Amino acid sequence: MFETKSLMVLIPALPLAAAIIVGLLGRRWLKEYSHVPVVLALAGSCVFSLLLLKDISNREPDAKQVGVEVTHTLWTWAAIPAAGVTTPQIKATPNFQIDITLRADPLTCMMLPMVTFIATLVAIYAMGYMHGDPGYWRFYAYVGLFVFSMTMLVSVSNFALLYVFWEAVGVCSYLLIGFWFEKPEAAAAGKKAFLVNRVGDFGFAFGLFLIWVSFGTLNFHDAGDVQGVLGQTLLANPARYAEIITGSVALAIPLLLMVGACGKSAQFPLHVWLPDAMEGPTPVSALIHAATMVTAGVYMVTRCSPLFMLDPRAQLVVACIGGFTALLAGLIALTQTDLKRVLAYSTVSQLGYMFLALGTGSLAGIVAGMFHLFTHAFFKALLFLGAGSVMHGMHHIIDMRRFSGLRRVMPWTCLTFLIGSLALAGIVPLAGFWSKDQVLAAVHDRAHDGGPFVYLYYSAVLTAFLTAFYTARAFFMTFMGPLVVPHEVGDHAHESPPAMVFPLVVLAICSIFVGITFDHSLGDFIVRTPSLACTLVAGEHGLEHHFHWDIAAISTVVAVLGIAIAAYFYLGDRRQINALTRIMQGVRLYGLSNRKFFFDEIYHVLFVLPLKGLAALSYLIDRWLVDGLVNLCGWIPRAVGAVLRNIQTGVVQFYALAMVLGLALLIGTLLVWKVG
Amino acid sequence: MLEVQLLYNYLVIGALLFGIGLVGLLSRRNMLIMFLAAEMMLQGVSLSLVAFGRFHNDWGGTTLVILILTVAACEAAILLALVQCLFHRTGNLDIAVWHDLRDANQPKFIDQEVPGDDAAKPEWPTLTPAGIEPEVDADEALEHRIHV
Repeated sequence: MFETKSLMVLIPALPLAAAIIVGLLGRRWLKEYSHVPVVLALAGSCVFSLLLLKDISNREPDAKQVGVEVTHTLWTWAAIPAAGVTTPQIKATPNFQIDITLRADPLTCMMLPMVTFIATLVAIYAMGYMHGDPGYWRFYAYVGLFVFSMTMLVSVSNFALLYVFWEAVGVCSYLLIGFWFEKPEAAAAGKKAFLVNRVGDFGFAFGLFLIWVSFGTLNFHDAGDVQGVLGQTLLANPARYAEIITGSVALAIPLLLMVGACGKSAQFPLHVWLPDAMEGPTPVSALIHAATMVTAGVYMVTRCSPLFMLDPRAQLVVACIGGFTALLAGLIALTQTDLKRVLAYSTVSQLGYMFLALGTGSLAGIVAGMFHLFTHAFFKALLFLGAGSVMHGMHHIIDMRRFSGLRRVMPWTCLTFLIGSLALAGIVPLAGFWSKDQVLAAVHDRAHDGGPFVYLYYSAVLTAFLTAFYTARAFFMTFMGPLVVPHEVGDHAHESPPAMVFPLVVLAICSIFVGITFDHSLGDFIVRTPSLACTLVAGEHGLEHHFHWDIAAISTVVAVLGIAIAAYFYLGDRRQINALTRIMQGVRLYGLSNRKFFFDEIYHVLFVLPLKGLAALSYLIDRWLVDGLVNLCGWIPRAVGAVLRNIQTGVVQFYALAMVLGLALLIGTLLVWKVG
Repeated sequence: MLEVQLLYNYLVIGALLFGIGLVGLLSRRNMLIMFLAAEMMLQGVSLSLVAFGRFHNDWGGTTLVILILTVAACEAAILLALVQCLFHRTGNLDIAVWHDLRDANQPKFIDQEVPGDDAAKPEWPTLTPAGIEPEVDADEALEHRIHV
């Protein structure tokens, strides 16, 4: 019915059109109907994404092609002839040309339906959650803009455009975190997210510069005689990579790209912004800060996996960052009392899992990372929307110590949250079990060789235990026990409206089935992505499916153990946990976790204070030195005027005398000059 | 040498005229006197020009002088009209009355005040009134000015 190329254009174009319509008309005319264009556009995008997915999955790579890809060039954005450098690898001076090119390959086609599907559900959910907010139209305009940026981010076929939309999702994230900008915490959180992301983008930009000087192009695909960075020519002949980028550049490019991914995907040491981003409206937390935008880093690393394959040290760095972040965030999540913060740290932890999988440097690992990204998007969106439902019922109170036993007043929320929690904890047969199993298996395979991966494997297992524990803790504290509601709510505690329950139910069903349904098929599909089909990544054999009984058993045992311990501590009168807390407080471990290992404080002292000092110094220099010079320029004519004013007496004879003297002086000078 | 000697004489006279006029212009405060002094400077210049014309035996100097005379006539007409206007404003020919060109914050600079009218009111001889006193028109009486 639709051509592939028109589908590729329509998917991002619909949300953009909706965003423009709502942005222009929302304030005056659409008002409380602002959701209509956006929800329709997102649903349309979702349908088109599925059609595109069907189209791409029906294509078979021909013998000459590596993987399946379709590119569609719309127009040329920038074309500067002979702008590049000449290096031994690039003989002719390349043109700097950025074509607006969309691509469709299995990786893109996996991301697009996921993003648009969850965005549609979140948009429906927000009809209930944001109802009556004065910024209703603004919210939907931002959401439309965000989905446009995110679909473009996964569709573009050029590093420069990837960077543009990388920034665009960052801007949308900033706007939505600071959506309630009258609230100082929200404004500060938006600023923090934006600034921390700048650090990551700085590294990303440097990575792009290095790619440009090494490859002489920023394209992914081949265009004419320009061989794209991830184009068919290079992927078909991966040995060329080692010729083009050698030595430290081969290490620097992936590491710099990883810095960018760390910023966007909230990995240590740039993870500090994500928990603060929970100041935004909860649908935003679900959509942007759990399911889609934060996975952009994972997507980018996967897309560039041929570059990461060149140096094992780069893979090790990725794996270590991922493993360490996963453990760190898991430890922090243990003691948080804010339901959304628990989920936020859980997101950081799960993103760490994905990077750990990508860092194994095997095709199975990369596929596991992407699979975990895919399943995580569903159950984390579900958990966040569930938390939003709790907030909605509790009048925006989210401190878990202030309510409990909500299963009696919010049965649907409780049930769906339970499914999400079990999926996150990795209980068979829910979604999280299958993807976590793949991740652990991939790490375990690398651990056979010994080295750091042994420690990473055990840390990943420990993280799985922590995940089960804190998820169960959050569930028990919120929904189990005697019914307690904050006194602000009184007896108005109620289940959320159908617009909010419906997405919860859909996502809960997805959380149950996406794992078992796509366990093998997702991997088989995305390995046909050119970047992954290249022999550098895929090796000789391609992807092999093994079900690791031992690892599945270990992860199930750990998850059940975590849940059981949480049940022991948090069901009943909680005497034991209070005693344990006091012990932990005694050895200072509790505060360490509760205060997030003091990262905010450390960064405050190390970076914020020196920068504030510099700002104060700059202010003083500007105020006194620069302003002083400017004022001096103004003061000189005034001073001269003050002196000369005294001879403006208005006495006519004085003027005449001055004329005579002046003339005499002139004539005298002339005489001396000519004669003397 | 006679020609040069003659030129020198004329030039000396011209310079003297110019100098006297300059000193008069700078030192006097009566506007009419200052005008006369300025005319005198013009005549000094004109004399020099005529002498040069005679010396070089051409019409250039003379032509210029005719021009100067014409301009001076026009200038005199305008200047007298202006002086008339100023006088009508204050009833005073003293140039020091006008200080309006000075800066707003500057004090008035007058080295010496002009003696007022009442300082030297002359005693005119009078006749004994006789006959009927003529009717004085009220408007005309108001228009009567003490200085003329």
